[in-house]
Amino acid sequence: MANMNLYSRGDKLFVIVNMILIGLFAISTLYPFIYITSLSLSTGFEARAGNVMLTPVEFTLEAYKRVLIEPQFWISYRNTFIYTIGGTLMSLAFIIPGAYALSRPQLYGRRFWNLVVAFTMWFNAGLIPFFLNMRDLGLLDSYFGIIIGFAVNGFNIILLRNFFEGIPQSFEEAARMDGANEFQVLWKVYVPLSKPAIATVALFCIVSRWNGFFWAMVLLQDEDKIPLQVYLRHVITELTDDESFGAELINAPYSVETVSAAIIVCSIIPILLIYPFLQKYFSKGILLGGVKE
Amino acid sequence: MAGFAKTGGDMSGVNLQGLVKAYGAVQVVHGIDLDVQEKEFVVLVGPSGCGKSTTLRMIAGLEEISDGDLTIDGRHVNRVAPKDRDVAMVFQNYALYPHLNVAENIAFGLRIRKTPKDDIAQQVQEVGGILGLTDYLERRPADLSGGQRQRVAMGRAIVRRPKVFLFDEPLSNLDAKLRTQMRAEIKRLHKRLGVTSIYVTHDQVEAMTLADRIVVMHDGRIEQIGTPMELFLNPANTFVAGFLGAPPMNMITAQIVAGDQGPVAEFGGQRIVLQPLPSLQNAVGKTVTVGIRPEFAKAVDDSQPDRVSIEVDLIETLGSEALVHATLQGAPFVIRTDTVGQMEALGRIGGFTVDAHLVKVFDGETGLALPGQVLNQ
Repeated sequence: MANMNLYSRGDKLFVIVNMILIGLFAISTLYPFIYITSLSLSTGFEARAGNVMLTPVEFTLEAYKRVLIEPQFWISYRNTFIYTIGGTLMSLAFIIPGAYALSRPQLYGRRFWNLVVAFTMWFNAGLIPFFLNMRDLGLLDSYFGIIIGFAVNGFNIILLRNFFEGIPQSFEEAARMDGANEFQVLWKVYVPLSKPAIATVALFCIVSRWNGFFWAMVLLQDEDKIPLQVYLRHVITELTDDESFGAELINAPYSVETVSAAIIVCSIIPILLIYPFLQKYFSKGILLGGVKE
Repeated sequence: MAGFAKTGGDMSGVNLQGLVKAYGAVQVVHGIDLDVQEKEFVVLVGPSGCGKSTTLRMIAGLEEISDGDLTIDGRHVNRVAPKDRDVAMVFQNYALYPHLNVAENIAFGLRIRKTPKDDIAQQVQEVGGILGLTDYLERRPADLSGGQRQRVAMGRAIVRRPKVFLFDEPLSNLDAKLRTQMRAEIKRLHKRLGVTSIYVTHDQVEAMTLADRIVVMHDGRIEQIGTPMELFLNPANTFVAGFLGAPPMNMITAQIVAGDQGPVAEFGGQRIVLQPLPSLQNAVGKTVTVGIRPEFAKAVDDSQPDRVSIEVDLIETLGSEALVHATLQGAPFVIRTDTVGQMEALGRIGGFTVDAHLVKVFDGETGLALPGQVLNQ
């Protein structure tokens, strides 16, 4: 953009249309954040009247106060952390060695195993068989069921496998000459060299775990084990019809809408905080300088 | 420094017997026999795809051996893992771990082998000193120049004190000047450490300057083994003659005829007198390939009566010497000649003469040198 004279009229038009489209996309992505945040900071009356659009109306923190004194909120919050951290670690523990094995040319039946993994990306058993399977394994209503049940993801394995395949083989050979066994080659060479890819896969896992709602709703009945997203659903669907909560709302400065919005904002914050820590891996090519291409 | 003095008197030679590499039905190395002596510096040289790197990788343990026997230090190692062969390898692309600094790269192998930390630190310092890397130990590979990276790669190999060093075209990624410099460093290092070394390159200058013995390979076979000068002066066949030497040996197709004082090579109405050797006399009437090194042909002007006439196309002046590019029987013919005090004469070149003992004659069909033509160093 520094020197627009280099562009023809058509190029300029293309750039302008692009910028407009990107701008619209950015707005459409940002607006729900802004709206929900504004809603959570407005009074219940204004929220229910539909007066909140961009900025908070009659600014108040009452909805947050109401959310934070609720024990179930903290239980669900803790559970979400357990599912996210435990699930991500479990996923990486499966995905990294799996991807490494699939990337090795010497793996016996490599094509077949790759096909097996890829197959799971296109087809799965479906809701009922999966539920029955989990029930028969005694994994309903358990932390472990949620953590192990979704630990392996074909897409992430293929993603990481492709990255491993892109690492020059001479690194592995050099490590083997230096005396490293397969595990050491993976752990001391491939994993450090693959930080950007592993960070990407970890972020995918974290986001999907943090936002995990459907399977948690299906597999968990025990309120002590439900994650934040399921709790949010309880708030939205059940509190609306709850008589005692209805009575509480009569003179309260908050409403079901503002309380729900406050929970959503609280649930977004941790995931927003993680991204800056992982971002450096996305923008940095760590392989630079190791081999001469 | 005592730790990196020359190794003691233990036998650490490498022996290849009938070494074969096949990928399915395709055989790429067809039974290599080679005996590398302890402390020897052997260079495998040949064009791309000749099987030299594959042979080296079989010695390293990075490629499975399809057939034949490999012994290192008297031990049969066909089925021994790379890490247990006591060999170290310097890779063409350095293969330095980019996430580790120089010291950590050098120490990697020692760490894997659980060497005590104090020993590692001491050995890294020693190797850093030997290779002039002391000031760079904390740097990452990305922050080093090509030559420094190559030195780190060598440091990683040296620090383990292996019985055998393997070099896989280690200088091919460096620019010409650095390559010359590093070549000398490798030679010096070998003298200092005295470790058996096998070095792969496609650059015949590297082979000539570094090797105690050169192994010329072609199409998965060994064409000839010998000292650089043996191979330069007495190539066993036209392939070796054409591969070693820059510019390569000139080749002329000729017929051997009987002359007044012995055999003569005749072509296009011109003649070159040959040595009166029985093998050449017996070849009278046969078609042969006559080989003349650019250094051995003496450029002369038109007045020389016994000259072979050539048509000069171009003269490349390189400083103290020049390359005269000419045509003989439709094929290129190059003469290397001095320039000092001769610049005027260069313009009058019309042919060359050559001493009979400096002419190599090869069988026209097999390409093998006819026997008995030995040029002493």
